[in-house]
Parts: sequence; structure tokens; C-alpha cells
Amino acid sequence: MDKFKIALLPIASTVFGIFILMLVIYFSASIPIFQKEGLAIYTTNVWNAVEEGEEFYGVLSAIYGSVYTSVIAILISLPLSIGFAVFVIDYTPKRLKEPLIIATDIMAGLPTILYGIWGAFVLVPLLRDYIMKPLYEHLSFIPLFSYPPITGYSYFSAGVLLAIMVTPFASSIIREAYRMVPRVYREGAYALGLTRYEATKILLSYIKPAILAGILLAFGRAIGETVAVSLVVGNTFNIHPSLFSPGYTISSLIANQFGNAFIYRYMPSALFASGLALFIIGLIVNVSGLIILGRWRYA
Amino acid sequence: MNAIETVNLRIWYGDNEVIRGVNLVIPEKVCFAIMGPSGCGKSTLLRSFNRLLELNEIARIEGDVKLFGKSVYDMDPVEVRRRVGMVFQIPNPFPHMSIYDNVALGVKYNKLVKSKKELDEVVGWALKKSALWDEVKDRLKDKASQLSGGQMQRLCIARALALKPDVLLMDEPTANLDPVSASKVEELIHELKKDLTIVIVTHSPAQASRVSDYVSFLYMGKLIEVGRTEEVFENPKSELTEKYLTGRMG
Amino acid sequence: MLRKLKEKIFLFSIAIATFLTILPLFHILFSVFANGLPVLMKGEIEFLTGKLAPPDDGLGGIGPAIIGTFLLTFLASLIGLPIAVLTGVFSAEYPKSLIGKSTKTLLLIMMEFPTILVGLFVMNILVLPMGSYSALAGALALAIVMMPYVAVYTEQALREVPFIYKEGAFALGLRRSKVVFRIMMGMARKGVITGILIGMAKVAGETAPLLFTAGGSSRIYFAGLDKPIGAIPLLIYQLVQQPYENYHQIAWGASLILMLIFLAIFIPIRLSIKEVRL
Repeated sequence: MDKFKIALLPIASTVFGIFILMLVIYFSASIPIFQKEGLAIYTTNVWNAVEEGEEFYGVLSAIYGSVYTSVIAILISLPLSIGFAVFVIDYTPKRLKEPLIIATDIMAGLPTILYGIWGAFVLVPLLRDYIMKPLYEHLSFIPLFSYPPITGYSYFSAGVLLAIMVTPFASSIIREAYRMVPRVYREGAYALGLTRYEATKILLSYIKPAILAGILLAFGRAIGETVAVSLVVGNTFNIHPSLFSPGYTISSLIANQFGNAFIYRYMPSALFASGLALFIIGLIVNVSGLIILGRWRYA
Repeated sequence: MNAIETVNLRIWYGDNEVIRGVNLVIPEKVCFAIMGPSGCGKSTLLRSFNRLLELNEIARIEGDVKLFGKSVYDMDPVEVRRRVGMVFQIPNPFPHMSIYDNVALGVKYNKLVKSKKELDEVVGWALKKSALWDEVKDRLKDKASQLSGGQMQRLCIARALALKPDVLLMDEPTANLDPVSASKVEELIHELKKDLTIVIVTHSPAQASRVSDYVSFLYMGKLIEVGRTEEVFENPKSELTEKYLTGRMG
Repeated sequence: MLRKLKEKIFLFSIAIATFLTILPLFHILFSVFANGLPVLMKGEIEFLTGKLAPPDDGLGGIGPAIIGTFLLTFLASLIGLPIAVLTGVFSAEYPKSLIGKSTKTLLLIMMEFPTILVGLFVMNILVLPMGSYSALAGALALAIVMMPYVAVYTEQALREVPFIYKEGAFALGLRRSKVVFRIMMGMARKGVITGILIGMAKVAGETAPLLFTAGGSSRIYFAGLDKPIGAIPLLIYQLVQQPYENYHQIAWGASLILMLIFLAIFIPIRLSIKEVRL
């Protein structure tokens, strides 16, 4: 047997070890709340933290908020990522390509707290005054716009901020895939006399799996994002269909509540249980995205 | 004693049988050429001589390869590779290391010298043997990447010679060199075969006729013909060999 | 006619999409500069070296946070880099082995893992038993976040070294460890160093892993590995949530510092390589 492999094996397994340990810790730390409430921890919207008497927790609001904001994010991000990818590959002059790509790489790596502070102090007031308030004033009969935007901290603000953060990432995956479409297909489409719009549609359908993977991975990123979201989502235990309502996401719930969780008997466990939910959702989404991307790249 | 002997050697890449039962005998201190059309397995065969084939996960071997009578599979692969040096089709000196270090590397790690002084001597000797010394003696610390293609290949020869091997394998060593460098390497082969056995894979029958004492013709993994170079070239026994030599086969 | 119109709308839309994608970057850069620069000018050197001011009472400085960020990044690298690089070597050398393949997949998964969950995990295994927030816990959380990036970059860099050099090294009778570390890593060093720097730049800007591990410290520079420590992102996060105006200003100033540190590391790296996997 290869001595080198044997020597490296324990170190390479460390990554595995950490992952499995994390899974174990999250499960075991969630057990107390499962024993106490069963699945109600996930299905109800309650936050009854009392020092004496019955504590009861239900993080439905956070789960709802996580999914809602991430969905908003990818709905906005999908057209932007695709548009950006196509524009950069097909329409920008050579000199502009690199700078544009570098710009998105910077955005993808920028510390998220910077998105957070900008979101809280700059984006939210802008969204509130120029989009949310007018929409509420005129269209509040539509459920989507029916919550009064007072501070501006809302699912909408979180969704827009997440979209801004996640688009560079999604577009890099789509861009790579689009760039690698074999030349023959490009030439074939144009040779048929199609307009650029029509040809692009065909090429995009060729890379559909990559687009799907990009969106899934973007969703995974959005749902795991913590600090930026917690500064703009409002941190309120709501479950409201309106975009303008404040709410919670799993990650911002944990960030917000953990500071004082230890005073209470069951709160830490409740928060670990919501972390577990995030762990699993994130795992499913990211693994699906990676599998689809892997298969597509292989073929 | 024969330098290299293969006994019913069969080699597979996955399900593909590349070498189909080859019995080859390579005498000592000669230049032995292996020629044949591309894809017939020459390079694969060569890599079985120094157990480099094992680097390829899907390669499988049956039969035996003997080095001076002893099976290479009874020896430590590191030992095999010290005694059987190799020069490749694309000159591959390590670009991030100096000319000196490139030659010294194998010597140091195989613990063939005991002092820096001895190392300097071996490096100098090897570079002289490969006709590179005069061109680099003042810039041994320069990075290997600064050399020309022909110089790089001679550096690779020096690097292999520094280990004082018994056999030197050369896998199409002049395929990527300009004609001037190529002929320098061929001159080198004439010199070197006085001291060690050289096995050269070549896709050019003309080169085989220029440098080798013995020649073998490999076709689709089978050994078609083998013998003294003049004899095979003047009187090929097999029709395939004749076709190849007269250029009617690629 | 309609076809031509669709074409025009299409071109217009993707141009807008591009604009909207990039615009926030410039808006953020501008906002951070516009809001942070006056704070730095007003705070001068004291801002970089001093301790945090009381609420509503001037600026003071973010010295402890700056020291903390450097210390945590350094410690995280100390813990994480050896493991990460060796893991990358392993998956490059044994790509077909079960562990090699699954390690690669696992690394990709962990790159996308919510960092708050890493922080929570480390809190559970280190902070609770120890009884307090600590620099060690913070560094460990950052190391876990850093590892997948460095490992993946290392693996990629090694795979890009042409096989012919590996063959050449083995043909000289070198053992595998020498072939990998002396020759392959030597030739792959640019890619490996890039990965390391990107990993470090990333964790220097991370907040969530530090929330329940490092604890934050605005008045003490360094109290010990087993004591709380500050960090710039953490400080910004805490200050933004405070109601005091001076704290918001400090947050902008700190943001400017963080942004400059990040860009100073990231831009040179990014300019020297062809693509980045984030």
C-alpha cells in the first residue's frame, strides 16, 4: 500500500470528521426541543420565552421568511444573471469583458457585512421611499403590497439585497456554461438566419441544466446568508404574504436570539433545531445543484 | 547477460489490450530501437521497463520484465528507476529549478553521493557527458526554463545520466526538437552506447537506421520482427516490416 | 417587423441586466467611501489605534477590532492551512479513490455551507465547555470556513501541472512524497498561494462565524487566546444595531477600513489569475 496515501489519509479525513461531527452536534442539541414539542418546533409560530413556566417555541416564521426571501432573491437574480452572462459573452468588446468579470468576482467575495451596512442605511430607505411607499399607497388592496412600510425593513428589502449579493455568483456559473457552448452550435444557429435574440434563446436552452444548477446554488447561498439579511429583514415573528412585512429568517433568528438564549432552558435547543433545519435545507439544495452541475459538465 | 528481457508481456489499458504477448530481448551496451506506426504501443512498452506504467491506474500487466536477469517486480520500483533512466518526448526539466538542481535532484534523493563536492563532480560529469557543459557552465544557477528546446533535452539526458543508469530509455527524444538539436542528440547516442544500453522508441525508420545497432518492429501490440539493423533494413522478413520501412504505412 | 422589435428589446434588456448587476458594487463602494472617509478624517490615527468611545460621545477608535481581525486571520490560517493544503494534495493525487472523490464533493458542499452554522457548531464544542468566548474559538470557526477554499484551489493547481513532469520526477527514482512536495507543489505554487490568499481575504471579512465564538471586544486589544477578541466585521455588525449616531459613524469608518483591506488583498490576486472560484 502506498505509504504516502496512508500518511495523508487521517488529514484528508479531517474534513469528513468535521462535517459528521457538525451533523451529530446539531442533531443531539436539538433533541431536547424535539422531545418537548415534537415537530411543533417547525410548524408553529410562537416564541414564548419565559423564565418561569412553560416555554414554547415554534420557528415557522423563520422558515417561512428564509424561503420567502430566498425565492424573491432568485426571482430577481435569474433574469439578471442570464442577461449579464449573455451580454458579457456575446456583446461586450474584449477590453470590457475582463473588468466586468472582475467586478462580479469582487462582488461575490465582498465581506457580507458591507452589504449589510449598505443595505440597512442606504438601500432600505431608498426602497422604502421610492418603491414600497408608492406601491402601498396605490395598490395596497393586492396582498403582496398590503403591509404598511414604515421602516422599510421587510422581506422585500431582504430579497432585493440577497438578489444583489447572489447574482454575481449565479451569473459566473451560467457565464462559464454559456461560454463553453461549442462553436458549432453558435454558428449553426446563425447560419439558419436567426436573429441574435432567437439564437440566444436556443443556446440558453442548451445550457438549461447549468442555469438550473446556478439558481439552486444561488438559492442555497441566499438561504444561508446571515448578517446582511438580519440587518434589513426586520427581525419580527411574522408570517405575512406581503412583501413589505418585516419577518425573520432562520439565520437571522439564530443571530438575533442566541445572545441571550442561555438564560432559558429550551431556547438554545430550539435555535439548534432551526439551525438543523437550515443545515438540511441547505444540504439538499446545494447537493442537488452540485449534482446537476457535475453531470452537465461531464456530458 | 541481456539488459532487458520481456517474457510474454501483455499490457491492458482498461479493456484495451495494447501489448499482446511480446517477447523481446535487448542485449547489453547497444542501441536498440523500437519502431512502429503511431498508437502501436511503443511508448507503453517502454514504460513497462522502468515500472512507470504503474502511475496509470487503468494499466494492467501480465507476464514479466527482467532487468539483467532479475524480474523488475522483485525489485523496489525506486531501485528500478535508478538503474533505468528515461528521457521523454517533450523535454521536461523542472522549470522552477535551476540547471544545477535539475541534474542534482535524482542524485541527492537516491543518496548516491556523500558530499557537496562529490555532487558538484557528478553534475559536471553528467553535463559534460550530455554535451551541455560548455553552454551552461557559467550559469548553472539559472532556471531551467531559460534554456532552448534542444538544450532542455540535453539537460534531461544529463539528469538521467547523473544516476549512472545501466539502461537509458528514450521515448521519441527528438520528436520535438529542431534538426540541429536532433542531430546533436543522435551524436550523443553514438557516444553513450559504449557505456550503457540505450532503448530508443522512434517513429522515424530513418532515425532508427542512423543510430541503432538492433531494431524491432512493433505493430498493433505485437512484435513483428527484430534483428540487427542492417539486416532488417536490407532484408525485412515480414511484409509488414517492409511496408513500414518503405513508407507505405504511417 | 415584430422580429426586429423583439431583437431591440432583447438587447436593451440584457444591457439593463448587466447594468443592474454591476451598479450595486459601485454604489456600495461609493457609499462606504462617502460615509466612512469623513469619519476617518475626523478620527485620524486615533481611529485606527484607539478604543471604542462611549455612546453618543465621539469616535475613539477601532484598534482592538483591527488587531483582532489580523490575529484571528493569522490563527485561523495556522490551524486551517496545513489541513487544507494536505487535503487538496490528497484529492489531487488520488482522484479515483473513494475518499478522494467524496472529499472533493464534500469540499464543494462545505464551500456553500451557511457560515452561521459553523459558528454555532464551534460555540457548542468550544465556547460552552470553556465557559467564555475566545480567540481560539473564533479562529477555529474561521479555519473551518477557510479550509474548503484553500483545499479546492490547491487540488486544482496540482491537477494543472502537466503529467509529463510527474513522470519525469518518478523516472528519476523519486518517491511519491518528494514528487508531490518538491516537484509538483513547486510548479503549482502560484495557484496554491492564490488559494491561500483568497481564503485569508474571505475569512478576514466574515462575521457570522464569529458571532458566538469570538465574542467581540471593543476596549481590550488582546486578552489571551482563551478570552474574547474583537474583529472588524463583528464590530460593524454590533454598532449598526445600536441606536447611537456616533456608533453608526464609527461603523461606516470601520467599513471603509475593512473594504480597503479586502480590496488590497483581493484585487492584486484577482488580476494575476484568470478565474476565481468563490
